[in-house]
Amino acid sequence: MSEFQGCQLPEDLFYDLDYVWVRPEGEGIFTIGVTDPAQTMSGRLQKARIKKVGTQLAAGRHVATLESGKWAGGVPVPFAGEVIERNEALLEDPHLINIDPYGDAWIAKLRAEDPEHALDSVHTGPEAIEALQAWIKRYDVQCMRCSD
Amino acid sequence: MTKDIGTIMQQDHERLDQILANTARAVSEKHWVEAAQLLEAFRHGIVDGHMVVEESLLFPAFEHWEGGEEHPLTELLRKGHKDLRVFFTEMAEAIENQDAEEFTDLLSTVQTILQQHDAKEEAELYPHLAEALPDHGVEAIQQLHLLQEEKA
Repeated sequence: MSEFQGCQLPEDLFYDLDYVWVRPEGEGIFTIGVTDPAQTMSGRLQKARIKKVGTQLAAGRHVATLESGKWAGGVPVPFAGEVIERNEALLEDPHLINIDPYGDAWIAKLRAEDPEHALDSVHTGPEAIEALQAWIKRYDVQCMRCSD
Repeated sequence: MTKDIGTIMQQDHERLDQILANTARAVSEKHWVEAAQLLEAFRHGIVDGHMVVEESLLFPAFEHWEGGEEHPLTELLRKGHKDLRVFFTEMAEAIENQDAEEFTDLLSTVQTILQQHDAKEEAELYPHLAEALPDHGVEAIQQLHLLQEEKA
């Protein structure tokens, strides 16, 4: 696990180099969530809306919208696909994203339309970590993880 | 007395907010054709007018004035524009599908984004424009008026 200005950046995930991480689960299924620096920048999340299971999304469309007192934004998907599962716990308690953005607070699982090319627009490994560190510096983020 | 570019851009925010509020009213009354027309007027005004003037004239002038090509403020604002364009497409689809619940959810997020985005521009960008623009904003004002007059 890489860490920069207090922000955790798992090296095994794929990133859109903005807010979103992607984890391949096999058989064309991918889990999507938001990064530690993104959850820090957003502040304490108070509302999460996640698209219903069965929703078809084009690449770049929002699978979820998140709101805190000071911020609102969407969670775009990097590939076209169908929502096959959403994290119902986040609808009740969006603040979980501030606590465990890479674990219990995953947002949705999608079945990619074209699994072979689903990761074409996302990045992983040292190149991704370096780009995310630049993102953190650019927006002057100092990560703080909530514990409750 | 001629209004300065900052005041004109701020007034454009207010004009666009009003069109969006009218769109929301039309959706709540299930006047779907009117809602689609109003949303398109809003989208045209903000995407083809307001954002074009900002991205082609105001941001570059501000970046140059600040002494570099990249600036965290304009990067954040450009990213905001990119995100908003996707939301506007999703709002148009919600109206097309006559899905008031989806539209209202999207509207809530978009209004929060716009409120924060506009406040940031009005506090951190617009006050510097008259100084940052070589012609004090004359071209930008003309461009905005020209784009506003163009039909969607």
